[in-house]
Amino acid sequence: MPRTFVKIIMTGLLSVLGHFACADVVVVVSDGSPVRTLSATQLADIYLGRLTYLSEGEAIVPIDQAEQTQAHSDFYQHYLGRTPAQIRSHWSRLIFTGRGQPPRAVNSHAALVEAVTRNPNAIGYMDAEAVPDGLRVVDIEF
Amino acid sequence: MTVATSENQAKTDRSRRFHRFLEAPVLIGALALIGLSLIWSATFHLTSDVIASASRNNASMTTDVAQTYEAQVVRALREIDQTLKLVRYDVQRQAPEAAIDDLNEQDLLPPSLLFSVAVLSPEGNLLATHGRFGLERAEERAFFQRALRTQQLTLSRPIDTDVGAFLYFARGMTDEQGRDSGVVTLAVHAEYFVSGYDSATLGEAGLLGLAGDDDNFRVYRTGDKIGVGTSLGVVAREASGVTDSSPAPLVRHPWDQVERYTVVRELFEFPLSVVIGLSHAEQLAPARATVREYYWRAVFASGLLIGIAGILGFLSWRLQKERQQATEERVQHAQKVEYLAFHDSLTDLPNRAYFSRLLTQSMLEARRYERQFALLFLDLDRFKHINDSLGHDAGDELLQEIARRLACAVRESDVVARLGGDEFVVLLPNIADPQHVSPVADKILAACAKPFTLVGQEFRVTVSIGITLFPRDGDDEQTLMKNADMAMYHAKALGKNNFQFFSESLSDDSLERLTLESSLRHALERQEFRLYYQPKRNMKSGDITGVEALLRWAHPELGMILPMQFIPVAEENGLIVPIGRWVFHTACQQSVDWQANGMPPLSMAINLSARQFIDEHLLDDIKLALEETGMNPDLLELEITESMVMRDVEATVKILKELKAMGVRVAIDDFGTGYSSLSTLKQFPVDTIKIDASFIHDLTRSLEDRGLTEAIIAVGRSLSLNVIAEGVETSEQYEFLQAQACDEFQGFYGNEALPAEEFSRLIASIRSGRS
Repeated sequence: MPRTFVKIIMTGLLSVLGHFACADVVVVVSDGSPVRTLSATQLADIYLGRLTYLSEGEAIVPIDQAEQTQAHSDFYQHYLGRTPAQIRSHWSRLIFTGRGQPPRAVNSHAALVEAVTRNPNAIGYMDAEAVPDGLRVVDIEF
Repeated sequence: MTVATSENQAKTDRSRRFHRFLEAPVLIGALALIGLSLIWSATFHLTSDVIASASRNNASMTTDVAQTYEAQVVRALREIDQTLKLVRYDVQRQAPEAAIDDLNEQDLLPPSLLFSVAVLSPEGNLLATHGRFGLERAEERAFFQRALRTQQLTLSRPIDTDVGAFLYFARGMTDEQGRDSGVVTLAVHAEYFVSGYDSATLGEAGLLGLAGDDDNFRVYRTGDKIGVGTSLGVVAREASGVTDSSPAPLVRHPWDQVERYTVVRELFEFPLSVVIGLSHAEQLAPARATVREYYWRAVFASGLLIGIAGILGFLSWRLQKERQQATEERVQHAQKVEYLAFHDSLTDLPNRAYFSRLLTQSMLEARRYERQFALLFLDLDRFKHINDSLGHDAGDELLQEIARRLACAVRESDVVARLGGDEFVVLLPNIADPQHVSPVADKILAACAKPFTLVGQEFRVTVSIGITLFPRDGDDEQTLMKNADMAMYHAKALGKNNFQFFSESLSDDSLERLTLESSLRHALERQEFRLYYQPKRNMKSGDITGVEALLRWAHPELGMILPMQFIPVAEENGLIVPIGRWVFHTACQQSVDWQANGMPPLSMAINLSARQFIDEHLLDDIKLALEETGMNPDLLELEITESMVMRDVEATVKILKELKAMGVRVAIDDFGTGYSSLSTLKQFPVDTIKIDASFIHDLTRSLEDRGLTEAIIAVGRSLSLNVIAEGVETSEQYEFLQAQACDEFQGFYGNEALPAEEFSRLIASIRSGRS
């Protein structure tokens, strides 16, 4: 009985720690973007190709990181609750049946920063520590 | 009679059996069976329809899916080829790395998420890449060598990596001189080609696959399971060549043993085939569920039907059973009533009515087959005595035992019946020789002679048997029975406990007596007895002082019969007691009636027989008669014979004393014929002696009789007894007696015995003459 109790407490602690660890990836837009906050659902829809315009009528262009990077897997796990394999499977079906194209992927942080800075409609994700001036972190409401 | 009954019964049984087919339970059962067969044939029909149409739908759906898939695959392959051609074109114009960057910049390359593009030197070195690309495996190098040489679009076998299986597409490059200058290649996740798998259409056990011209899968998918490299086996042969319009055949897939509607279709421009399969079991599951639903409904409906039929059947069965029971009870009741009507309730033997029928039947048969049969008429010898002394219950028990013994003593084919009372009759059918009857009669006598135990006492009774033979001794029932009765009385007359055959002489000799005996039994109840009254007159005055009641039997056929003819018979069979009782009562009543009509009080003399005198109820009977009629006992005089009083002097004295105590007078009848001594006579408290008519008769001719008469009168006077002369017929006799100072006389000289009315008239005429 005490052992089970301890196990439950440990599991709870670990999951909280994990959450903090994942929260290291943040969603960013350029300073010029009107976007301040997004709901988790909106964010998921944007990255799964279901949402290309925000309610204000602004176009929104998601920028992806390469599939094998830590940021990629952290982002999809934390904000969309899906594995990279599930994401690949999702786009694989859309591409094969001709119903959509995945977000453009960049190969590095630098490329991402550049792509988001250049386009006020773009949205991307990156390590929290690496966010430079000129980019703004978007609040994601779960 | 019994034969006819059983024939009728058989007939009704047959018709009953026929009607049973139309009876409710059978009808209900038949209807229920018809209902069940309707329900189930409809269900089978419906379900086979459902399955057949579902199968058809699946087969044609497979073809539809195949068409769509084919189109998708062809478009995907074309896009890939397009990319290869585009990269080759650019690489031939600038450095490979710059070319790839340019194309990427222009968004002309496919998404790196799924597709990787690379340019290789003829030696197999990577010159430029887009997306992730590694060259670690021997089969990869072999493939690139093959692509380098062909110039055509080349397709690899699936290559497993740690992130899944890949398919490589490649085109070779030549420089201006036509030499091989490298290879442009594109790697794609194999699962890409089966990502169009839609569970809504294909289910979890469907099949989507891409096969090479070597009949091995490049990739296939079933549900979420993705496989590569597997051989198609028989599927390639059985499912190819399916046109757009024809339904897909059902094939069992060797790799997972699932039966699928399968289409294999070769692509036109590429050395590939698409393979599509719809699981038979899975696709038919909804149809099967529907079928199950139908079966359940059918089961439910059947259950309902059987239940209702069962309840109805049970109810009607119960109704029928109740009806049958009621019928049986009626029949049993009727049988019982019939049985009671034809059987004696005490002994269970056939009664007189039934025996009469059996006898008639036997006579008919005997006449037809010219046979003879014997009739044995039985009467218990001392039954009345047993009945009187032991009570009716014992008598009944005796009769039952006799019935049992009789039944045991004869054969089963013989008939034993009880005619009533202690009369039994046995009928022996088909007697070849009259001699054969005797052993049977002996057997019956022996059976009845064995001792009985009644109310704890051992008893012996005997029977007397009269035997008649048909047709010798009578040709009709009445004659046969009457003659048997007569023979039976003859047997009784011959000392009882024996049997006698009837004979004509018997009939002639003792017809009268035997008829008397048999009809005496009924005389009392038929009121055939009469009392005549003979006046007694005073010797001196000639006045009527009293009467002697004399019994007569008015026989319907034989006329008036005197007591001496039937009293012995009555004494023998005990009837004397009830007859005597009747005489007491009638005489006393008459005396009272006369006085009520104004006659002077006259003495009433009644004769007692020897049997009556010793009957223990005598005194009671007399008392009862006096009480019932209210007669003055002083007027009653009982006459007993001299021989009776002399039999048991002590007992006689006792009875006479009691009679005296009651106030009744006693006379000794026929005095002088016995041997009573004077001393004995003195002991008897008698009032009167009557001189026997035989002395009076010869009075004038015989000195001896005259002397005796004188002596008797003298004795009477000396004992102070009243002396009466009987049978006085002539004036000579009268004068002699008057001279001897006899007190009273009776006889023709005075008056003969008269019926009551005539006597009344006589008195009336004397009175009117005197006045």
